[in-house]
Amino acid sequence: MARYQIMADDVPFAREFMADPFGYRSPGLQRVLNVMRGLGPKGKYVILCTEPYRRWQLARLPARRGEPIEAVEGVDYDDLATAERDVFLRRWHDLGGPDLPLELLTMRR
Amino acid sequence: MLSLIAYTNTLSAAPGETIAVKVGSYGARTYRADLRRIIQGDRHPDAPGYKDEAIALDLGGERTARRQAIRAGSYVRIADRGGVLADIKSFTLAVPVLPTLIGETERTIFHLTGIDLEVLIDAEGRSCVKLGDARLTLAAPLAVKQWTLLILSFDKGELRLSALTRESEIITTGKTSATLRRNGPVGVMIAARAPGENHFDGKIDSPVLFSRALEPLETMARLALPQNLSRLPDLVAFWDFSRSIDGTEVIDASPHQLHGKTAQCPARAMTGWRWAGQCQDWRQIPELYSAIHFHADDMTDAEWQTDFEVTLPKSLKSGLYAIRLAPDGDEAQAYHCVFAVRPPRATPSGNTVCFLLPTASYLAYANHRLGLDVPGTEVGMGRLVEIDRHHAFLQEHPELGFSFYEVHGDGSGVFHSSRNRPVVDLQPGVKGFLGGLGSNVWQLTADTHITGWLEHQGVTYDVITDEDLHRDGLSLLRQYNVVLTGTHPEYHSLQMIDALQGFVDRGGRLMYLGGNGFYWRISFSDAHPGVIECRRSEAGIRPWEPGQGQFHHAFTGEYGGLWRRNGRPSTELAGLIMSSQGFDLSEPYELSAAATDSRADFIFDGIDRTPGRKFGAFGLSGGGAAGMEIDRADFGLGTPRNALILGSSKRHTDIYLMTPEDMLDPTPDMSGTQNDTIRADLVYFEKEGGGAVFSVGSIAWAGAMAWNSYDNEVARMTWNVLRRFDKKG
Repeated sequence: MARYQIMADDVPFAREFMADPFGYRSPGLQRVLNVMRGLGPKGKYVILCTEPYRRWQLARLPARRGEPIEAVEGVDYDDLATAERDVFLRRWHDLGGPDLPLELLTMRR
Repeated sequence: MLSLIAYTNTLSAAPGETIAVKVGSYGARTYRADLRRIIQGDRHPDAPGYKDEAIALDLGGERTARRQAIRAGSYVRIADRGGVLADIKSFTLAVPVLPTLIGETERTIFHLTGIDLEVLIDAEGRSCVKLGDARLTLAAPLAVKQWTLLILSFDKGELRLSALTRESEIITTGKTSATLRRNGPVGVMIAARAPGENHFDGKIDSPVLFSRALEPLETMARLALPQNLSRLPDLVAFWDFSRSIDGTEVIDASPHQLHGKTAQCPARAMTGWRWAGQCQDWRQIPELYSAIHFHADDMTDAEWQTDFEVTLPKSLKSGLYAIRLAPDGDEAQAYHCVFAVRPPRATPSGNTVCFLLPTASYLAYANHRLGLDVPGTEVGMGRLVEIDRHHAFLQEHPELGFSFYEVHGDGSGVFHSSRNRPVVDLQPGVKGFLGGLGSNVWQLTADTHITGWLEHQGVTYDVITDEDLHRDGLSLLRQYNVVLTGTHPEYHSLQMIDALQGFVDRGGRLMYLGGNGFYWRISFSDAHPGVIECRRSEAGIRPWEPGQGQFHHAFTGEYGGLWRRNGRPSTELAGLIMSSQGFDLSEPYELSAAATDSRADFIFDGIDRTPGRKFGAFGLSGGGAAGMEIDRADFGLGTPRNALILGSSKRHTDIYLMTPEDMLDPTPDMSGTQNDTIRADLVYFEKEGGGAVFSVGSIAWAGAMAWNSYDNEVARMTWNVLRRFDKKG
């Protein structure tokens, strides 16, 4: 269980991530991502490859082996960067992060 | 999802030999089989294109697909002999148990079939005995991960069950009336009611059966001297798990010789109830290793029936092949049973280039669930976990068994992996978890970047498997000038290491085209065909430890763990040693002054060798030639003094961290942007007698070779080396 909790000081790191979901990270963003990405397995966001290298669907892992992965209906992506931004914002919200500026929220799609 | 899965009886066959194919339906009604030669299996749009080749061989027409059950769970089965068990009227049964998982369901410890005697843990975790219609349950739940001795006796219609600590303190006891009746053939099942039914998780230590009712403390006194048991006239059976540890036999040390067999490879050489740190190696005091650890999810043999056989044409050239099974006329959903056609056994093929297919490492990762079970996988990937249809299928079918990267349901490590079952991620085109931004392919499919390149270059080559290398050793390799490895040849037996080292020591040339190679020790065993054992002792990047006192393999007695800790560091063979891992981005190498050394002229033929220049800043595996898992040269750890370090990666993301074996004293500067230890080195060295080694120290190298349809400087360098290495003298 991660000790760190996302707070107002982390908003610049959200901006950093939304600008480029891949690549080298500032230590602050890496810390935020470690919290988000270490969640699970129950309910953890993953993406299902519905068309190899072309299309993905958001899904959540079950708690136990043998149970099916639950697809999130209606949430599909045509590229990986969009998936990363969308899941980042979902997790930011789920983890109680502070409100983000509108321009970041509109970068979701 | 997959509607059909399958496996073959081998991962390697010579021309003229016959392969048995075992097919199981998960919805498919029919299928057609054909034989394909696999050339390039990465389907990423920037990859050179999926490529295989049909082999003109009639494998029969449409077949009906049938369901074949998989019964996971290990157990011991013992048959009665001479009516010894059937004649029992009164008895005492003593069974030390250390449960690791209780609750939810009944878990059978000992079942005497035909008499309906069953010792079990009930769904509430309480020890319980059933005899005919009688049922006796002790009040207190059994302690998890602690030894409890269950002592059961029956005489004159009275059934007694006691639970004691290993210090002979009675925890609880109970009795009831019961009747003993025979109602069928008598035999013993240990750790399951029947195969696939009510499996037990935990350790059971050598059950002992006497032919009369004994007091619990008298029984304990007898158990304290196991070497005397066979002289006791009322001993019926003493299934001594400390004997034949390396095999499947379960020896009855009583004069009756009611021997049995293990099934599904439970863990042996496990510390028993008398072990308290007296030794660490089961071969020193085997009687302290008197326990077997059973798991309800052990799976080393699916035991499927053969659906059809394929006899390979005698003229078939060596290579990477698959029997392709297209369900219900849908080739896009085809299942591939991958195997190598090795060169003929009796005569050399005439080829001088050999690709060593790392099947031991494939098995180590077989059906792995890193993206399903391990939340930290996404941290290591640096992006969302992608799940393709194979992994979605695996999530719903854990009965297919695990890889060395999983823990069992009780949290203990998976020591065994097997090819005697469907391995659904051992197919071309399967999406990986750890393959980096880009193709995100791993092991087999990543290795087809190399086979695809060999085909593109028009090289005639043989393919052999790790198991071939283990069995045949240097006698198989000596026909070659060059051996090429796969991208991640991580798991090796001593015999495999010896063969490769002997090859380069005798003039052979090795192209180590991967990263984190020659890392973990494994064992094969003739008693367990198709199964490998790995115990991850002490150091290394590992998801579990084998448990105190249990670091020696049961198959061979070898001390498990890193080759670095076993006197055979990879630096000696390959010049490099594992340095770090990260599964997001890869980097280029920066060429060093050694790149201009005249010994490296052939390597840089047609390539700009200016020191400081970035080399390989592209690729399908993370966007660079150096990444995923990376190795460095280290003269202090055995890199040959004459090794040229031609280039090194100079930075990696902070997902790359130092390995536990390097991180003796953790400090916060041990990550990829900060620590110079975290790098891939590109190394070349020559051996006396004409041998030579070219090592890239990076899983991502092959993904760079395949970039731009193999037209790039990484592929060029690989070609320069192969061309030179294949010339004798």
